[in-house]
Amino acid sequence: MNWTQFLFRLVEPVVPPRFVIKRLLLLIPVLFGVASVVFAILHLAPGDPAIIIAGQRASAEQLEQIRVELGLRRPLWEQYLGFLWDAARFDFGQSYSISRGNSVRSVISDRLPITLELAIYGQAAGILLGLPLGIISAVKQDSLTDHVTRIGALTGISVPIFWSGPLLILLFSTYLDVFPTSGRIKSTLFLPDTWTLFGRELPLTGMITLDTILLGNTEAFLSAAHHLFLPAVVIGVYSTALISRMMRSSMLEVIRQDYIRTARAKGQGAKITLMKHGFRNALIPVVTVIGIQFGTLLGGAVLTETVFGINGMGLTIVTAIGVSDYPVVQGTVLTFALLFTLVNLFVDVTYSYLDPRIQQ
Amino acid sequence: MSSGDSIDRRSFLTAAGSAAAAATLAGCSGDGGDGGGTEGGDGGDGTSSDGGDGGSDQTLVYARGDHPENYDPQQSTSGEVAKVTNQVFDTLIQFAAGSGGQLEDALATDYTLEGTTATLTLREGVMFHNGEEFTASDFKATWQRFTQSDYEYYLGDDTRSGYGPFTLGDWIESVDASQDYELTIELTQQFAPFLRNLAMFASAVLSKAQIESLGDSQADLGSEPAGTGAFQFDTLDNPNERIRLTANNDYWGDGPNVGTVIFKTITENSTRVQDVINGASHITDNLDSSGFQRAEESGTATLLRKDGINHGYMAMNMARFEPFRDRQVRQAIAHAVNTEAIVNQIYQGFATQASQPLPPDVLGHNDDLDPYPTDKEQAQSMLEEAGYGDGFEFELATFSNPRGYNPSPVNTANQVKSDLEEIGLTVNINQFSNFGPYLDYTSAGKHDACFLGWYTDNADPDNFLYVLLDPQVEMDAVPDGQDWVSFDSDGYNTLNVSGWANTDYMELVREAQRTYAEGDRETMYEEASQLAYDESPWVFLDYAETLRAVNETVVEDSYTVSSVGGPYLNTVELQ
Repeated sequence: MNWTQFLFRLVEPVVPPRFVIKRLLLLIPVLFGVASVVFAILHLAPGDPAIIIAGQRASAEQLEQIRVELGLRRPLWEQYLGFLWDAARFDFGQSYSISRGNSVRSVISDRLPITLELAIYGQAAGILLGLPLGIISAVKQDSLTDHVTRIGALTGISVPIFWSGPLLILLFSTYLDVFPTSGRIKSTLFLPDTWTLFGRELPLTGMITLDTILLGNTEAFLSAAHHLFLPAVVIGVYSTALISRMMRSSMLEVIRQDYIRTARAKGQGAKITLMKHGFRNALIPVVTVIGIQFGTLLGGAVLTETVFGINGMGLTIVTAIGVSDYPVVQGTVLTFALLFTLVNLFVDVTYSYLDPRIQQ
Repeated sequence: MSSGDSIDRRSFLTAAGSAAAAATLAGCSGDGGDGGGTEGGDGGDGTSSDGGDGGSDQTLVYARGDHPENYDPQQSTSGEVAKVTNQVFDTLIQFAAGSGGQLEDALATDYTLEGTTATLTLREGVMFHNGEEFTASDFKATWQRFTQSDYEYYLGDDTRSGYGPFTLGDWIESVDASQDYELTIELTQQFAPFLRNLAMFASAVLSKAQIESLGDSQADLGSEPAGTGAFQFDTLDNPNERIRLTANNDYWGDGPNVGTVIFKTITENSTRVQDVINGASHITDNLDSSGFQRAEESGTATLLRKDGINHGYMAMNMARFEPFRDRQVRQAIAHAVNTEAIVNQIYQGFATQASQPLPPDVLGHNDDLDPYPTDKEQAQSMLEEAGYGDGFEFELATFSNPRGYNPSPVNTANQVKSDLEEIGLTVNINQFSNFGPYLDYTSAGKHDACFLGWYTDNADPDNFLYVLLDPQVEMDAVPDGQDWVSFDSDGYNTLNVSGWANTDYMELVREAQRTYAEGDRETMYEEASQLAYDESPWVFLDYAETLRAVNETVVEDSYTVSSVGGPYLNTVELQ
């Protein structure tokens, strides 16, 4: 039994494999569409890769040589097919500019954990704060707590990251000097490439807080947490606000259902009724929001990383577009698309677990 | 309701607990963070696995705005790359620290250029960081890797930078490295700037042993560069945008005086300056106007400034826009644009008004020339004389992001627009958000007028006058009685974005390129400068200063700002 069979065996009682396979097959046209759009946009955009590679000093002949080498003189359909074949193997070639001479794959493998780490912290903050706040707000509807939470949530949704980020930096970094303005760890602290488990050397994950824990380096961990705090807050505020809003309205709907009243009439305590019957049912729409929200967090990472100078996927896309590093743009955009669709698939699976009617 | 209250409390406590934990975590680390105080001397603090065993255990932190990921001097034209490779590699000849481009010995201790032969005596006993000894064959392999497509380890047309042909390839016919410490280079033609080209960062000497060991993976040299320089490349930390170099104890030159150098990246200009003020970094560059003031007023950092060897200009494209073919029109525009206001108000006094293509400090700069005085009445009457009294309309293309020679391109464009409106000309600003596509546009000659600029490669007058204003076409390709050519002309130099092709000027700069007697060269370039001034293919805007903010823990005078080459970190000492 290989690992996929094992995985299916594990989830089979709750989610039939046919459902998952169908959803996985649906990923193909979506990714094909994204890849085609990315290819088209980049080929319509101005900017000559030859000049990017050779620089301002290159002669016309040298530029032409480079265009031929890169295959830019081949017919467009040939370039397109070549690109699709490469994209299917997740091979986007080498970066022209931002990581010159290195493969786009290595650029992505360096950057992706950074963005995921940020998104995970943002999501964790959103779930840990958003769910309880939403429940409180629903249970204490129209109370002062509810009003404060709702205003806070509305503000959180409305304030854009490109405004809240610099504002927090200004307050906490420049004036109060409590948090660092940018980066992920103190500049003089360097981590090794590997960590040791039972005498075996293993590669690090690229998620700096996790890596510092794996290395057992307290000073580095504290420095990493210190650096990540503000960006995580910025990215988490939106998430918290949205989840608490969703949780509140979903909860309000559920606690007015007949079965809640029945449970209470049978003499079940309010707390148990709320958590056992109310919470799980109210969670269904919230899970969808949490899933989609994770995709939005990846998008939010573009802004957060730019504001805080964190070299993740978001900042990489922005920089690569700025310097017309097309292979990197193609690779990172497709990775984002893949992640987004995978998260959605995961949400669908979770959803069908919570509400088996979905599978029908 | 009472049950509701208990849920409320529990949820609240959960939330409060998480927040408190996070805050505690963050608060604890606050003491050890980057926030305050100086830390120049605590390189050994923390988990730096090794600080090198160089001159001291101090750590010098250099903050910059960008982090390229490839440190092969043959794969890049970027100044950000050069900042690091100049610490790791040496060139045969180098620009003296703190100078305006004077040459001095480096890996070569003696050098001559006669006719088409350059002869260099090499320094003995110099070791590469990989343990190999430096000999003439290293330079030969360096040249071959960069420019010779038949060489086994040639870098490749789509991998090497444009500096390959520009610096060495176009000029070197052959290299004789048969003796270990004697190098004879045959040139394709007499070429006066050649020795200066050897001092450019792209001519850094690589190790032959490393080139051979890389085999087909030549592009990988950029992540493990090994030269003969004052510092060894230790760690390339791309996720955190940092580089760590350690001291090379066997360095043949001055220093190094610190054990470790860290290049860190802070994109935001104001944040970077604040980092130097706080003492978390020691030196930074690419300052903007608010950064200058903050550094000067801080009390913990000083501002170092030096005249730069660069030029920001507005080129008028004669090949495309007919009115610009009239010299009087170009001069009228030069009289109308208030360059004094641009330099003093828009660039806040950190640049000087330009009078000619060559900046001061460069051989052939004509001291008799002053910037065109702003005189709108004269400009108007010149336009009328030229038959354009009713004015005309043209496009001014500009990039958007600041560059050293033009720190505020859009404001400058608006100043030009309003100045020219006063003499009846309508300027349509065409703003580009990205520099790459902008260069495509200007090098194809699609603009009527455009902003551009140039930082010198080698501080030679040829690097401005021939490279930027000679069309590099055959003399007889310029029709009689015409002083411009089309961008389609055979072999056209697309860096000449004004299409200007004045045969008197072309003869002068081409002759000067082949002349070795410095006095004669100087006279020719002064004449060429006069011609460029009179003919005004450009509006000469400014020469920008080179500026650095330096923390007080850097020992005074141990760090000198240079307008070409550097930064010279080998001499830097920390208190």
